[in-house]
Amino acid sequence: MRLFFLIISICACSLSAQSDWAKWEAKQIPYEIPASHQQEYKIDSSDLGMTLISFAHNTYNFFVSDLDGDNCPFYPSCSSFFVLSVKETNIILGTLMFADRFTRDLNFFKGMNRYPIAANGKFIDPPSNYTMHIQKIKFD
Amino acid sequence: MANSLNKTSLLFNNFALIFIFMSASLFAQPDFFSAKYRLEFGNYLYAEKDYLRAFHEFRNVLKTIDNDTIRFRLANSLFKISRMSEAADNFKTLFFGSALSEEARLMFYQSAYFLNDHKWFRELTEQENYQTTKYKNEVERLKSITYFYDKISLPDTNILFKPFHDSVHTRLAKFYKQKKYPQYKSPTAAAVLSSVIPGAGKIYTGEIGDAVAAFLSTAALAYLAVSNFNAEHKFRGWLFTGLTAVFYGGNIYGSAAAAQIYNARIRFNFENEVKLYFEERNYFLPRIDF
Repeated sequence: MRLFFLIISICACSLSAQSDWAKWEAKQIPYEIPASHQQEYKIDSSDLGMTLISFAHNTYNFFVSDLDGDNCPFYPSCSSFFVLSVKETNIILGTLMFADRFTRDLNFFKGMNRYPIAANGKFIDPPSNYTMHIQKIKFD
Repeated sequence: MANSLNKTSLLFNNFALIFIFMSASLFAQPDFFSAKYRLEFGNYLYAEKDYLRAFHEFRNVLKTIDNDTIRFRLANSLFKISRMSEAADNFKTLFFGSALSEEARLMFYQSAYFLNDHKWFRELTEQENYQTTKYKNEVERLKSITYFYDKISLPDTNILFKPFHDSVHTRLAKFYKQKKYPQYKSPTAAAVLSSVIPGAGKIYTGEIGDAVAAFLSTAALAYLAVSNFNAEHKFRGWLFTGLTAVFYGGNIYGSAAAAQIYNARIRFNFENEVKLYFEERNYFLPRIDF
């Protein structure tokens, strides 16, 4: 009888024992920075130029930006900044504004540049601040 | 015997009936929506700084009772909840034939001041039928303050500082100097500097990090263009030449924009500083309340 209980106890222990394998097995950890907002693919059909630019922007988002993750420290992101700049001014000024933004993005110490900071931690830097119209400049 | 019982029963019934009526009248609820109760409740809300609801109570009270204090409180409630245009209109109703006329006129000017149409406000101070004798200096102070916010040239310091006490003249002189001679940067100068040396315009506007990034990116692209041409890679040479031109031009444009942002920030900070200074001192106005 004693032997029977001993066997039962040992069997029960081994049946409910935790597997070390489950505890120490490799985990799939996503290292991609999750996007703070859902990307919308929209074509701006206000004119031919904007249609082409927004198409190129969506293509870039689909094949590059969305796969790479939400890395741009600015809001709006550099690619969106280009589209918005062209929309607000024209293709030439928009390109120059984008080149300037891209250069500012290369600055390792941009955090010291007194950009307002959004709730998601990004630097708020709208294209309207760079259109050379002082009335359009906003700091909040 | 039966007759006596009937009499007793009748008496009891009558007594019960009277008792029921009396108790009903004793426990009857007062009319809480009467002007008296509304006024009491409105005053309570006003004291508790619940101005929106106080305004609604006062408005209902004024349908049956006409009282200057209630009208003043109603206008002041609107003032406190920043409905300045309505407040100004309601203070106007106390201008004539009221013991609170002078206070209402001052509050009218205060409400008009916060509408932020400074040119209109200055014109309003000139209107004879609105002017106050008791608070003339206070209104003049508000008028002087408006000059610090507008783009128009400032009047002489003797006129501007006159309504203020001597103790604040030093601070006002500092604001005057900041307003009259702002430390602006020239967008043209910034653009010219960046066209000579990429990034120099950014240094001029105080953006050192951006200046270094602009110089290095333009220089690196130019180097890549030259080295590709030297290596007979014409396509890549022209590609990098194009990119160099775009980044060079972008830096010139960005330097001019940075100068403008710098100027806008100077103005923004100045206006905030002035606003904070006067707000903390209640625009040197007496606190009027009834």
